[in-house]
Amino acid sequence: MSPHHLNPSSLKSRFTTRFLRALTNINAQNPISSSSPREILQRYRRIKVAADKSMAYSVRSRRTWSRAMRWKLRSRSWRQASSVRRLKITTTCHQAIMKKTAHERESKTTTGEEVGFGVQTDGLRELVPGGEAMDICNLLDETAHYIKCLTTQVQREQIAS
Amino acid sequence: MLRGLHSLETCTYNGMDMTVLERQQARLKWQQQQNYGVQNNNPIELCASSVPQIQGFLGSSFGSGQLVEMKKPEVYLGSDDFPKFVNLSVAGPEFSASKMDLVPPEAAADYCISRTSSCQMTAFQTAVMNEEREDVILKKMESTTGRESFNKRKVEAVQDDKCKDKRIKGEVEGESEVKTKCSTEVSRNSSKGNSKASEVQKPDYIHVRARRGQATDSHSLAERARREKISKKMKCLQDLVPGCNKITGKAGMLDEIINYVQSLQRQVEFLSMKLAAVNPSVEFNVDNLPAKEFPAYVANFPAAAKSPAMANLACLQFNPLQKAVSCMLDATGHPPQTATEGIASASISIPEQALSSSCITQLQPFSTWNTDPQGLYNVYNMGFH
Repeated sequence: MSPHHLNPSSLKSRFTTRFLRALTNINAQNPISSSSPREILQRYRRIKVAADKSMAYSVRSRRTWSRAMRWKLRSRSWRQASSVRRLKITTTCHQAIMKKTAHERESKTTTGEEVGFGVQTDGLRELVPGGEAMDICNLLDETAHYIKCLTTQVQREQIAS
Repeated sequence: MLRGLHSLETCTYNGMDMTVLERQQARLKWQQQQNYGVQNNNPIELCASSVPQIQGFLGSSFGSGQLVEMKKPEVYLGSDDFPKFVNLSVAGPEFSASKMDLVPPEAAADYCISRTSSCQMTAFQTAVMNEEREDVILKKMESTTGRESFNKRKVEAVQDDKCKDKRIKGEVEGESEVKTKCSTEVSRNSSKGNSKASEVQKPDYIHVRARRGQATDSHSLAERARREKISKKMKCLQDLVPGCNKITGKAGMLDEIINYVQSLQRQVEFLSMKLAAVNPSVEFNVDNLPAKEFPAYVANFPAAAKSPAMANLACLQFNPLQKAVSCMLDATGHPPQTATEGIASASISIPEQALSSSCITQLQPFSTWNTDPQGLYNVYNMGFH
């Protein structure tokens, strides 16, 4: 292994610690009593959220996609916490995001047509979190980083499972 | 004569691809014609002055002689302008009136020849330099200037004429003064040349900028920079995404990238499903676990080794795994198309792993742990592509 992997402050190791901690927490809070589909589904969701969260938080808010993911996760947790606050905040946030995306879409259509792969970039925008409000350059940049993090996530989950 | 005049005019007006020599030849021709015309009217008076001049023209092929040649026609033109000449040639009666104006400059030119021939040897080098400079200037003028420069040169020719008139007086006093004047003339010419060069360079510079202007337009510049940036990012992505090197074209590459990201996301989903289906029934104590049991793990994840979580994960049981996966597919209700494919192919390999995992409850070495998911991952990937 390269020395990068041995670095305790590297992104991979940070992600691994976070993810494992989250998994232990999940297991500690709800020890598996039965293998009913509902419970497994619930646990799956928790693990998925934990994985996403650990990925987004290990990246910190340096990247647009991680910020978008964190915002998504936070709004999700708030939704669970209180419905009243959720309504207010999500509506304002949604309004802001919709404004941004609408504005971005205008410029996006022009740039996409110029380059000639508008359909593909739209597909990529849907996949990368926070990609709706990005131009092509940033989108590609974020996609590259997102792919790196996803591969890390997949590797760690493979090892963990 | 009119034709000669006209040719001279055109060659100086349009003079785009005329070399200095050509111009000289044209001037000589014109001069001959003019002399001929003058001789027709007044043969005795001008015969003596015109013959040595032509000789001077033909004879002085080197050094400062050329410089003088350059100026001589202008000397002719000096005091009397082209319009006058045109009138003169068109309307005959006026010619005799302006003829008297024509004669003194010619005499001055003759003097000039004699003077330059006398000071040729002394001021040879400077004259050569000057000539070179003049050539450069002329070339520039050829390329850029039109009528304006012609007028300018005419004005300068008038100045030259005046200077030479002075020089005629000076020549009476002595040759030394002529030398100094020659040097002053050289300096004057050089300064003039510089000023002319700067004058000429300006439109040239603008011309170059105008040519570039099509490309240095801010919009096209920005667009080019953006395209470069995009291609750079695409190259980065190409390195990241496996199997993207073979594809040419950005659209195909983006398709491949999208597929890869989707597959990664689904892989994460599937793996977290697998993790959810796995339930750690046996609580494991890290302290009891000898460190040598998982050297591979320690080597890979030193930070994670601190947490006891891995120990917990190590003793996960795979008993209800296959059932759980199938349950997951039922429960989620909307499994992605490719994901189902992948899971279907993966579920074939799950029993094997379940078998191995039952052995692992008795703490197998971690190397098997690393290899098994790898095989699973490969099977999963095979299902995708």
